[in-house]
Order: sequence, then structure tokens, then C-alpha cells
Amino acid sequence: MEVLCSDKKKSLLDPRTKLLLLIFVSVFVIGNAGGDAAAEFRVILNYTPLLFLLCARRWRAFLFGVIFYTFAYAFAVLLMPHCKGFLNFLILAMTGIVLRFLPGILTGMYVVSTTTVSEFICAMERIHVPQTITIPLSVMFRFFPTVAEEAGSINKAMSMRDIKFGGKKALQMIEYRLIPMMTCSVKIGQELSAASLTRGLGGPGKRTNICKIGFGFCDILVFLGLGAGLAFSILRACGVL
Amino acid sequence: MEDSKKLKGKDLINIGIFAAIYFVVIMALAMLGFIPIFMPTYSVLMPLFGGIVFMLFLTKVKKFGMVWIMTIIMGILMWLTGMSYYALVIGIVTGLIAELILKKGEYKSVKCAVLSHAVFCFWIVSNYIPLFFFADKYWSTRQNFGQEYIDALTRMFPKWMFPVHIVLCFGFGIVGGLLGHKILKKHFEKAGIV
Amino acid sequence: MIELKNVSFTYGSENGIEKGAAGGVGETVSNGSLNNINLSIKDGECLLITGGSGCGKTTILRLINGLIPNFFEGLLSGSVTINGQNVSQTELYDTAKTVSTVFQNPRSQFFNVDTTSELAFACENQGMAREEILRRVNRTVVEMQLEPLMNKSLFNLSGGQKQKIACASVAVTGNDIILLDEPSANLDLYSIGELKELLKKWKSEGKTIVVAEHRISYLWDIADRTVILNEGQIIKELSRPQMYKLTENDLHKMGLRTNKDCRVKPDNDTELVMPDNDTLSSSGNNTDLSSSGLTRGSLSKSNILLLQNFRYKYKTGYLALSIPQMQIPVGQITAITGNNGDGKTTFLNCLCGLGHRSKGTIEFKGKTYKRKARQKLVYLVMQDVNHQLFTESVMDEVLISQLEPNEEEAHKILASLDLDDFAKRHPQSLSGGQKQRVAVACAIASGREILLFDEPTSGLDYTHMLQIGKILRDLKALGKTVIVVTHDRELIEECCDNEMKLLDYSKK
Repeated sequence: MEVLCSDKKKSLLDPRTKLLLLIFVSVFVIGNAGGDAAAEFRVILNYTPLLFLLCARRWRAFLFGVIFYTFAYAFAVLLMPHCKGFLNFLILAMTGIVLRFLPGILTGMYVVSTTTVSEFICAMERIHVPQTITIPLSVMFRFFPTVAEEAGSINKAMSMRDIKFGGKKALQMIEYRLIPMMTCSVKIGQELSAASLTRGLGGPGKRTNICKIGFGFCDILVFLGLGAGLAFSILRACGVL
Repeated sequence: MEDSKKLKGKDLINIGIFAAIYFVVIMALAMLGFIPIFMPTYSVLMPLFGGIVFMLFLTKVKKFGMVWIMTIIMGILMWLTGMSYYALVIGIVTGLIAELILKKGEYKSVKCAVLSHAVFCFWIVSNYIPLFFFADKYWSTRQNFGQEYIDALTRMFPKWMFPVHIVLCFGFGIVGGLLGHKILKKHFEKAGIV
Repeated sequence: MIELKNVSFTYGSENGIEKGAAGGVGETVSNGSLNNINLSIKDGECLLITGGSGCGKTTILRLINGLIPNFFEGLLSGSVTINGQNVSQTELYDTAKTVSTVFQNPRSQFFNVDTTSELAFACENQGMAREEILRRVNRTVVEMQLEPLMNKSLFNLSGGQKQKIACASVAVTGNDIILLDEPSANLDLYSIGELKELLKKWKSEGKTIVVAEHRISYLWDIADRTVILNEGQIIKELSRPQMYKLTENDLHKMGLRTNKDCRVKPDNDTELVMPDNDTLSSSGNNTDLSSSGLTRGSLSKSNILLLQNFRYKYKTGYLALSIPQMQIPVGQITAITGNNGDGKTTFLNCLCGLGHRSKGTIEFKGKTYKRKARQKLVYLVMQDVNHQLFTESVMDEVLISQLEPNEEEAHKILASLDLDDFAKRHPQSLSGGQKQRVAVACAIASGREILLFDEPTSGLDYTHMLQIGKILRDLKALGKTVIVVTHDRELIEECCDNEMKLLDYSKK
């Protein structure tokens, strides 16, 4: 009886494709490569994350992106000319930074929310990232929720003991929250370490990964799309188009 | 067991654990930046508080490569969250430098540790690079906003601000390192974790 | 065949033991070191190692699985061999191919975030072929009936389920030597029963099992042999017939917990049924069961703590807690038991007024308290004491708990708990039991009337469990209302006046 679902691909795209997507967004949108030639491509890349979020049914992230875009544009176009001085500066900062980084952040949200840790590590291993990087990475991802849990418990303890944020005591508050969180996390980390080692982590030789990833139809579509955009921009730059 | 210089499973796990703690602290500070006006404060706050975590991490580091790997991981995380690849690319270099500084102090010297942290913090500033250096080209696509908008925005991120950020980051990296060391002595040593 | 010959071990300076309670004034603090141990374990044997806190039982396990000296540093002499091979000189990842370990805390033994990957983890590390791993995992899942738990996030499982997954991941490797370090510490009675069945099964498969435990009752008829340690030395070795001859008193004299299977409920208990979400939405009403069972004394309004309409709903809509009415006697020690681990913690959080999703009111001494007001009335001593200690010194902890810092008062409180000598010490440098007493000191210093305790005795041996019992009784003498969430039968019999059971409707 087959009880494992490892054979089914869980998400639309192979993690490596998503990583490629991130590269493209980074290079063209944030990094502004290609200047004017890549202008159209850039605009498309600006909005593809939204498309992916929609396909992946990440409604909240999608809505988040749409709202931010709308507001940024609205502010820039409508409000800016009418405000002066500090308010002007504020709106400027907001819209400038938001519009610059938002596509990247949205792509990031898409990648992070649709890739499991196992898939990610598997992808890393396929592109031959050494174990010295993949092991800390997987430990880190696994440890995030634990750190968050610890921080939450400490918060609870603090509010139970009626120790609250106060103006003067602000620095002390940070000390009171940060230190126990670190102490607890380190202790749990030790236990985790011991447990993992008794199960053979860190041995020589290649680790197997039961997770299955591979390129599919959608990946090819994405490759074609990115390739076309790239080609278009290059041709543009060379003055052909 | 033999004292090998190679990184073993225990060390790799330690890196992961501290990377998680460090990143959680960074993220908490980054939330402030959602009010974009606070973005420049990253150069101040992150080295400051990150220093506490980092100094504790250093007490667990006795072998070559741990800081370097930490830097690379931060870079990968930045890339994954959509902050672009600058942190990774620059991190590979600065991480190595930070590692070498530590090595010079034979993983024991406090001065080298603090300095190493200051260099390590460079990845924070590298996230700003697109804002400062590629601004003009970017805004050319936003013609519909009006030239005034573009000019104003370009003025806001003048190129000279960037070195200022580097200095700030480095300076607070030192402060953060010293702060971390002080807290180490105050709390963690007594708690028996060091 | 596992053999320890003339083994002595002392932990290095940086590796203390984070175990149970130790160190009242005048007590020697056992630190887990070993002194000239000679022990051999035959193949297929089930060995129980027990003793007071810090006696060294965990140390022995760590020697067998190689964590000492590869992970925990210290001074080791003597030899530890498995089938002739010296464990101390073998790399951990090699020893992992013969020995598997199940740890005490399910929370911190998982490397992955989902159950399926966790089962495959150990085999993945060995570089086994993918098909082989999948085959083995499937086999284990079928044998242990774990289908419903597959492909789930480990963070959403209960303590018992987590421990099951931990045991399953051991079973997948097929290793012949299985070590368990206080596996029942965080489990309720039902889960312990399941653990016991699993151990029986492993035994029938011929596995060599070594268990270090305080709660020896569930192992008493499975273990072939018992070894009792004290301060690093074997003081008694008992074969099966000898084990059966021991009475409860003999065990208590040695500082050990009872060997009697504690499944019998005391007479005076109240059962409160917690809802299954489907029935709640359809029938709407939960019967009030709280009025049955409490017959002692006159229950006027001033004598009881009345809980009304306690509800807690998670973001996902899952209703974790629903208690229309509950009466708890004031000035007495009440135990809250039941199988639903998460429900009990939610209950405590609700009572404290933590978390804005908690709804309901309590009536205490004639006054009604809504959620926010409750925070000033109730003090919770958490299960993991580390979450509650922030400051640099024990004295500071007490001072910040007081409404008005008063050093003299603080000293008095510390003295009553034998902690005055530790006033200047950093809280994190104390032993587990001492930290717990610091938390109790803070509770007293806060002056609050209602004190809650979340599993104060999990993992404690007999002597220290009695200490906690005494502390609870002292609190009662101070006039406090004490509520203890626990599944420790012996503690309940030792000091609790009443018991209330929270049931999970869906489990019925």
C-alpha cells in the first residue's frame, strides 16, 4: 500500500525554475539591467509575480501586492504634485522604495510559500550546492518556527507577570525578551543537534533525498517566456528591433 | 575524537541554529522598515542588535568557514525574500574577509571578533545598492509620473549617502559587537551556555 | 552484546546536565558523572536503568550511542563496546547504523518539519537508495498504523503523536539496539499505554532495549532486568523475580517512583467534556457536568471560583476549549487531569487571561473578572521554567514580580524556599528544581490569589516530587488557591484535594 505522496509534485513549478525567476526579477527589476531596451520586459516582470500568486492561490499575498501597487501609484500620481515639503518627501520615499522592491518581495513570497523545505534542499543538492551549505540551511528553516514559538512563550510569560513596554524601560524590555529567547533557543538547539547526530547526520558520502522534483510543462513555459523576454531585450539593445 | 579542522555535523547544525535566531531578530527589525522612512535605520539597528546574537555565535565557532557560511546563508535568504542578489555576491567576499580576521585572532581574540562582526554586517548595506546606484535608469521607465518626481527621487538617494551608510553600518557593527560581548559576560556566561 | 567495563566519566566544564531537580540546602548535587561502572547487556534484553536525578542514567545511554565523547566532552576512562567494537572511538554516524535513540523531549528531536521526511531522515543520512527508503517507511507506517499522521506538519501534532513519530523513525532504520531516555516524561496515560505496546512489540522482534526512566510503572512487566544507580554507581541490580518482590515502600526508600500501574481514578472526580467541533455546531449546547461530584463542604459563592463560558477558538476556527461552567474550590489544591494535552494548556492560558482569543469570565470572592482583569489575579508557573526567568539575579526576579519592590519581603520569600543563599546567582545557572522554586518565589511575591502550575513534576524523581507536593501544601496554608495541571498520579495522591478531568469529546 502506497502511503507516501512523494511521487506527486506538490507545486506548479520546480524549485529551480522559481530560483531562476528570482534571478530574473532581481537582475531586471531591482538591478535595472538593460536600461531602456529591457523596459517592456521589466514591466512584464513587475507583474508576473502577481500572476503566479494567483495561480498558486495565495490570495492574501496577491491582495497585498495589488493594494500596495495601487496605493503607490495613486500616491505618486495624484497626491505628490499637491504636497510639499516633508509630506512630499514621505510619499516619495514610500512609493519609490515600494515600487522598487515590491516585485522582488512578491516573487519572494511566492517562492517561499510554495516550496517545502525538502523540495528546496533537493533543488540545492541538484545544482550541486555543497553539504556545508545545505545542512545549515535546512536546520535554519526548521528552526524558525521553534524560535518563534519560544519568543511567543516568553511574550506570554512577560504579559502574565505584568511586565510591559514602557518608555524608559524600552531597552530593558528588549534585553528581557532577547536574552531568554536566545538562551532557550540555544538549549533546544543543543538537544536537536545531539538527536540529529545520533541519526547519522554529517556522515561522509551523499545523502539521499526522497523528495521528487523535476521539470514539467509549466517550467518549460516559464523558460520560454523568460528566454523570449531576454532575447527581445537584447535585440532591442542591439538596435535590431 | 581527533581534533579535526574540518567542519563536522555538529558545527553545521550550530550555524543553522544561529542563522535562524539571527534572522528572526533581523526580520523583527525589518518589520519596522515597512514604514519606508525607517529603511535607512537598518544600517544602525541591525548591526546593533544582530551583534548580540553574532557574538554568542562566535563562541561556538572554532573552525574555519563558519562565519563565511553564515554570510552566504544570509545572502541566500535575502535573495529568496526578493531583496536581490547583492547581499549574496558581496557577502561571499566580505564573509571570507570576516572569517580571515577571526582566524588571525585564532578564534580567541575579542578584538578580532568585534572587527569580524563589523565586516560581516556589510551584507546589510549591500541591500541598498540598487537604490543608490541604479536609480536613474529605473526611473526612466516611470515617465508618466513626471520629471519632477524622478528628480526628487534621485535626489533622495544621492550617491554620497551610500558610503555614509557603510560607515554607519561598520561603526554600529563595532558597537553591536561590544554590546554583544558585554551581554555575553553578563548573562550567558553565568547561565553556562558559553 | 553491549559491554561497559570499568567506565568512569565526568562532564567537562561547558557541558552541564539539564535534568530534573537537585540541590536543596545540604543536598549534594549529583551531576550525572559515573564512577567505575561495569555493565553488560545481552542481545534481545530489555533493561531498565533508574535512579534519582543526576544519578547518571542518561550518561550511560550517551556512552552507548556515542554522544559521549563525540558530542559531550569530558574525562572518560574504561571501555564501552558493542559487539566488540569500541563505541567511543567510532564516529557518531557509524554508530548510528546500529544504535537508535528516542529522546525525552519530542519538541527538540525532529530535524524536519513534516512527518514523512522525518521517518526517512535516518536512512537518507546513510545514503540509502530512494526506493529502499520508501519501502521501509511504508512498512513501518503500515505496521504502526500511522497513515493518518503522514504528510503532516510536526508542529501540529500532540506530544503523544510526536513521540510516536520519533519511535517510528527509529523503527524505519531497523536498528537492533534501541535506547530511550525518559520517553514518557511528557506523555499522558493513554500515550504511555501506546508506548508500552510498542516496546512489547520491539521486544518480540528481538531488539535490545535500554530505557532510562523515572516513571517505572509502565515498564515493570516488560523489563527483564533493572539496574538502580545512585551518584554514578550501580547500587542494585534486579532480575525479574527480584523486581516482583519489591514493594512500593522499598522503591520509595530508594527515591524511586511507584511500580504500581496507576490507572484507577479516585472516587471524587468531576468530568468535564470538551466539545468535538461537529457536535457543537449541530447541537449547540454542552451539558453542564460541573455540579456533579463536588460534595465537600458548603459551596457558597465565597468558597468557589466559578468559571463561566470559557471558550478558546483558534484562528482556523477550531474550537479547542468550551466549558460552560466549572466550579473550583477556593483555598484548596485542585488537580486538572485528562488526556488532551493541548486542551489543558489552553485551559491554563485562558484562566490567566492570556491571548485575546480567550473568552469567558470568572467569579472570585464575589467579583467578576473578565480576561484582562484576570491577568492581575492569576499567576502561572509554566512547564518550561526557562521562559519565565529573565533577569540577572534571583533577587531581581523576585523584585520585579512584586507590586512594590521590597527587598526585605523578598528575602523572606526566598528563605521560605531555601533560596536565600542563591539570591545573587544568575537564574540560568541554577538546576532545574532550583529554577522552579525561583518561579514559585515570584508567584508568591506577586501576591496573587490564584496560582496555576503546568506539569510541575514531569521528569522528577520521587524525592523531588515530594518537595513539590510540600510547596503546594505550603501555598495552600498561605490561603492561595492552587490549580495544578498534571498527569502525575503520585503527585495527585500526595497533595491534591480535588481532581477535575477534562475530556476530549472527539476521543470518546
